[in-house]
Amino acid sequence: MSKRVLVVEDQEDNRQILRDLLECAGYEMIEAHDGEGALIAARTQSPDLILMDIQLPILDGYEATRRIKAQSDLRHIPIVVVTSYALSGDEQKARAAGCDAYVAKPYSTRKLLETINRYLT
Amino acid sequence: MNLEADPTSFLGQRPLSAAPRASGDGASVKDGLLGFELRRSLRTKLLIAFFVIEMLLVSVGVIGLLSLREADQRANQVVGLQQKIEAYRQMQHGALRQLYGVSTALAFPNETTLAGALRQINQFGYDLDRVSFVAKDEVALLDQVREEYARFIAVVSHIVDLIRNGRAAEAKQSELAELGPLADKLERLTNQMVNRAEADMVAGIDASRQTYARSQILVAAVAIASFVLTLVLGHAISRSVIDPVRIIHHGLNRIAAGDFTQRIEVANRDELGELAAHVNSTCEELQQLYRSLEEASRHKSQFLANMSHELRTPLNAILGFSELLLDGIYGDPPQKMRSAIERIQRNGRHLLGLINDVLDLSKIEAGQLRLSLADYSVEELVSGVYISVESLAAEKQLGLRVAVPTGLPPARGDERRLAQALFNLVGNAIKFTDAGEVWIEVEAQKDSYVFSVRDTGPGVDEADQIKIFQEFQQVDNSITKTKAGAGLGLAIVKRIVEMHGGRIWIESRIGHGATFSFLVPARLEQQAMQT
Repeated sequence: MSKRVLVVEDQEDNRQILRDLLECAGYEMIEAHDGEGALIAARTQSPDLILMDIQLPILDGYEATRRIKAQSDLRHIPIVVVTSYALSGDEQKARAAGCDAYVAKPYSTRKLLETINRYLT
Repeated sequence: MNLEADPTSFLGQRPLSAAPRASGDGASVKDGLLGFELRRSLRTKLLIAFFVIEMLLVSVGVIGLLSLREADQRANQVVGLQQKIEAYRQMQHGALRQLYGVSTALAFPNETTLAGALRQINQFGYDLDRVSFVAKDEVALLDQVREEYARFIAVVSHIVDLIRNGRAAEAKQSELAELGPLADKLERLTNQMVNRAEADMVAGIDASRQTYARSQILVAAVAIASFVLTLVLGHAISRSVIDPVRIIHHGLNRIAAGDFTQRIEVANRDELGELAAHVNSTCEELQQLYRSLEEASRHKSQFLANMSHELRTPLNAILGFSELLLDGIYGDPPQKMRSAIERIQRNGRHLLGLINDVLDLSKIEAGQLRLSLADYSVEELVSGVYISVESLAAEKQLGLRVAVPTGLPPARGDERRLAQALFNLVGNAIKFTDAGEVWIEVEAQKDSYVFSVRDTGPGVDEADQIKIFQEFQQVDNSITKTKAGAGLGLAIVKRIVEMHGGRIWIESRIGHGATFSFLVPARLEQQAMQT
C-alpha cells in the first residue's frame, strides 16, 4: 500500500503540481485547503507525511503545525513546511512551531521530492 | 493584498504653511533682562544699557565738578579771612603808629612831627575803610571800632591843637588820661576781631579739609558703583543675548540630529525670542514632514514585501510545472518543446531573482533584515560563489580566476549575505564583460578583509560611480542598455556591507574595466547600526 501525503495548500495550481508530482512518485495524496481542514484530515486520514503551506485561510500553517504536534497520537507524522515568505525569521518560526523540514517557495519539484522521500523511505 | 494605503499620505503632500506662525508665540515667554514686562527689541535693550552707562559717566563728572567748586569756594573763604586778618593787624599797627606819632609830637613839638601825627590819622581812616570792605559780617564790632576811632581822632586832633598852641603840659595830660585808654580799647577791639577771624580761618581750613575728604569718598564711591553697575549691566546684556543664542544653537543641533520632540525655550521677547519661536515652528513642520516621509517609506517597504510574495505564488506554479514537464512526468517532451520549456524556466528564474532583490532591499529598508552572525571560512565562501558563477563565465567564454590567501583564520559575519554580495558583484562583472577575464581576490588586512572583483569590461564613468550604488540606478549608456537588470544588485551589496560595518568602493576608467571592492571586519560581533 502506497504512502499517504496530506497536502495543505489553498491554491489549486500549486495543488495540481503536487498532485502530478506525488502521483508520479507513487504516493497517495490527500488534500486540505485550510488549517482547520488540515487538523481534521490529519486525525481522520492518518497521513504518513504532511506538506503544510503557511499562508492559509482560517488557520495559518504555523498554528496548524503547532496543534498537530501538540497531540501525542499525531506527533510522529513528519511535517514539511512550505512557505513563500522567505523572510529571515520564517525558518525559525516554522521550526519553533514544530515542523520537521522547511522548504521555501518557489521550490524545485525535484528537491521537494527528495525531501519527501527522505521521510517516507 | 494590502494596497489600501491612501496615495496622498504616501507622498506626504502636506502644505508647509499649515503650521502656526511665530508672531503670537513670543508673548507667552517671560523677559529675562531687567524684568521688563514690555516687549523690547534687542536694539532698545542695548540703547538703554548704553544710556545708563553714559548717565553714570556724566554723574561721575558732575559730582567731581561740584566738589571742585566747593573746594574753590572754601579756598576763597580762607583767602578772604586772611585778608581780613591782615587788615585788622594793619589797623592795630595804625593805632600804635598813631600813639607813637602823638608821643613824638609831644617830645619834639615842631611842625614836622605834628604833620606826621596828623598824616597817621588819614592812613588810619584808609585802613578802617578797607576793613569795612572785607569784614561786612562784623558790622556791630566795626561800628564800635569806628565810634572809638572817632573819639580817638578827636582826642588826637585836640592834643595836636594843644601842642600847636604850646600847651604841652595840658597835651601830655590829655594823652595820658584819654588817648592811652582809648588806644588800649581800640587794640582790644581789633584783637577781638583778629581772634575771631583767626578762629574763622581755622574753622574754614578744617571745613575745607573735610569737604575734600568727603568729595574724595563720594567721587570714589560713585566711580566704583558705576564700574560695578556697568559690569552687571554688560553681563546682563551679554547673557540675554548669548544664552538664547546658545540655547537656539543646541536646539538646532538636536533638530539636525533628527530629534524633533523638544522645543526651544528662550526667556527673551526680543528678536531672539522671535527667532526661537520661528525655529520651533519650523521644527514642527519638519517633524510632520519627517513623520509623513517615514510613513511613506514604511508603506513602500510593506508594499514591496506584499508584492513580492504575491508574485512568487504564480511563479511557483510556472517553475513547478515547467520542471515537471522537463522531468517527463507528463511524457517525454520533443526536443523543440523541451528547449521552449527551458526558456520558460530560465526566464522564470530570472524573474524570481528580481523579485528576491526587491524583497531583500525592502526588508533591509524596513529594518527587518537581521544578520545571522556565525564563524565562516573566507576560502569556502569564495569557492561557493566560484562554483555558482563558473557556468555563467564559461557560457561567455570568460576567464574566471580566484586569488585567496591560504590559511586565513575563521572570520565572523553573515556568510549567506556576504556570499550574496560577492555573487552579485561577480555576476555583474560577468554580465558586463564580453571578453577577457574576471578576478575574485581577497586581501587580509589588519582586522578586516577586502573582497575585490576585477573585470575587463567597459568600465564606469566617474560621474556614474556614485550613482550605481543607489537603488534602481543603472549606468545609462548604449553598452549597459543591452544588459537586463533592475539596478538593485549593487544597492543590496552596499546595504549588506554597511550592515557589517564595512564599506564598498569602485575603481574604474572607461575602457579599462572596473574593480569593485568591499571591506568588512574580519570578526563582526554585533550588527552595525543601519543608516
